[in-house]
Amino acid sequence: MTATSKIEPVLDVSNLTTSFRIGGEWYPAVRGISFSLQPNETLALVGESGCGKSMTALSVLGLVPKANGRVEADHIRFEGKDLSRLPDEEMRKIRGNGISMIFQEPMTSLNPVLPVGFQVVEALRYHQNLSRAGRERRALELLDLVKIPSAKSRFKEYPHQFSGGMRQRVMIAMALACRPKVILADEPTTALDVTIQAQILSLLNELKAETDMSMIFITHNLGVVAALADRVAVMYAGDIVEIAGVGDLFARPTHPYTEALLRSVPRSDRDTKTLYSIPGAVPPLTRMPKGCRFTARCELAVDICRKQNPPLDALAAGDAHSVRCWVRGNHDRAALKENADV
Amino acid sequence: MLRFVVRRLIFAIPTLLAVMTMVFVLVRIVPGDPAQTILGDQASAEALQTMRERLGVDRPIIEQYIEFMGGALVGDWGESMVTGKPVLAEIARVLPYTIELTVVSLIIGGLIGIPLGAWSALHRNEWIDYVTRVGSLLGLSFPAFVSAILMLIVFSIQLRWLPVISGGDRSSFGEWARSLALPALNLGLIMAAYITRVTRSSMLGSLGEDYIRTARAKGVPERVVIWRHGMRNALIPVVTVVGLYLGILIGNSVLTEIVFNRPGLGKLIVGALGQRDYTLLQGLMIIYTFVIVIVNLLTDLTYGLIDPRVKYQ
Repeated sequence: MTATSKIEPVLDVSNLTTSFRIGGEWYPAVRGISFSLQPNETLALVGESGCGKSMTALSVLGLVPKANGRVEADHIRFEGKDLSRLPDEEMRKIRGNGISMIFQEPMTSLNPVLPVGFQVVEALRYHQNLSRAGRERRALELLDLVKIPSAKSRFKEYPHQFSGGMRQRVMIAMALACRPKVILADEPTTALDVTIQAQILSLLNELKAETDMSMIFITHNLGVVAALADRVAVMYAGDIVEIAGVGDLFARPTHPYTEALLRSVPRSDRDTKTLYSIPGAVPPLTRMPKGCRFTARCELAVDICRKQNPPLDALAAGDAHSVRCWVRGNHDRAALKENADV
Repeated sequence: MLRFVVRRLIFAIPTLLAVMTMVFVLVRIVPGDPAQTILGDQASAEALQTMRERLGVDRPIIEQYIEFMGGALVGDWGESMVTGKPVLAEIARVLPYTIELTVVSLIIGGLIGIPLGAWSALHRNEWIDYVTRVGSLLGLSFPAFVSAILMLIVFSIQLRWLPVISGGDRSSFGEWARSLALPALNLGLIMAAYITRVTRSSMLGSLGEDYIRTARAKGVPERVVIWRHGMRNALIPVVTVVGLYLGILIGNSVLTEIVFNRPGLGKLIVGALGQRDYTLLQGLMIIYTFVIVIVNLLTDLTYGLIDPRVKYQ
């Protein structure tokens, strides 16, 4: 499956920018990114903390706090509607129904004062025309589906009586309740221990195989990407810097940041004493450099990198593998240099 | 839960004993002589001595203490040193007035404070929020007796809607309500100011929680997100503050009672203190402690209604 596929994408995001107001000034946390999601595809968004992965998902769902956040896009197309221009009430009808989200923190994402079963029922209540009994039956089915043992007797229990893994299963049940077309999974396993992580991932894989839903999987764990994703978008400081099919990306990591990320993964098949880590840190939102935002940490940086941010271009014409890099990308540098001075 | 209540009441006994001892000592440390207060400045030394003997304050302090504690435990709280009536009867006469004033003030405070606090939180940093915050600060810093007098001037003297002296008329429900309205409103508005501020800040806290985002992500309508998911969690600190403030309110309603000329515990305490009425003061302090214990117990039980994580054992 590729970005240029003929099939109509379920979700098509074009030029999405999400900004935050810090001390009276607006700073973009997501900078004009575009991507699309094919039916039954899993797109992984990868990058270190603060690169804009979660903000991308929250922007799609219209959950960026309005008080100090602003979402702009050419379009966010889903089922023929442009989500970036939808009135609040229309957007509410899509949330949890056509598109749903699983969050990173199962320990705090459930309401502590409401029974678990009720919280699953609630996901059905405002979207589906079911009787009270019908909703409860479906909620119970969902809890069985995500493999919560003796779901029936635990239906009226509260979140504090559930373990972290079980709570994340409840979150997944809630997200699946209305059979959504798209699931946004924001680091759903980061807060869980390794064995539970594996269980949750295989559960998500099974569920995806059984239904025709698509998934955007946000993570910084490249092992998870290899196991789960069809396509990968690597994000750095609010930009997509590289996007490719999963096999292609691991075989031919092209952007220096992707390369560095892959080098930082601990491997059991090699004998290494020290683990590589990328020097430096992501520049803060309020002090983004003018050119390519990875320049300061990049070993390959040349003059133009400091002056102008490179475009995200395909490595070869028609190739689904695109990279945003002056040195490694496929650009007519001379021509672009002229533009830079304009 | 019943076991929890019984245990809490048993644990209250040492508290009560300690308070009784402290009160016994404290009222006797305060300079002044009850016999002198009763008989006046012109009384002769013999008359004072006779009065002291009659009141029992001439005997050794240990003897007085043993008699007081022994009596209190079997329900004999003695007679008021000033009026000669049984202390229990004096307290029983005014207690209903204090309870009705406190309960109605609390209801007024909650009905105003909780919605106003939530509203303010939802419009954070907008003009509604600023008005509410300034208003509630004013409510906190305005002396109760000044607002009471202002209310009397407006509602009783200018508009003539309500009686000036609301001394607890109980002849009919209408009269009862009319006599209670202004004092309850006076204390209720102060209570509302407290509740507004706590509700606002705890609502701001709970609306920032992850589960609120989850509820929104499920497509739950905003109104339901705010009241079912936000408010329920925000109420826990509100209950704490109400519980604490109720205890203070019971003792501090004295200024309101004086301005509106209502009977009540606060007024009785101030009177007893002024006249060095040792026995009445002791009785009042025991009741006051007991009320605080009960209010704390009710507060703890309310937590359980709101938060399923609270367990009573």
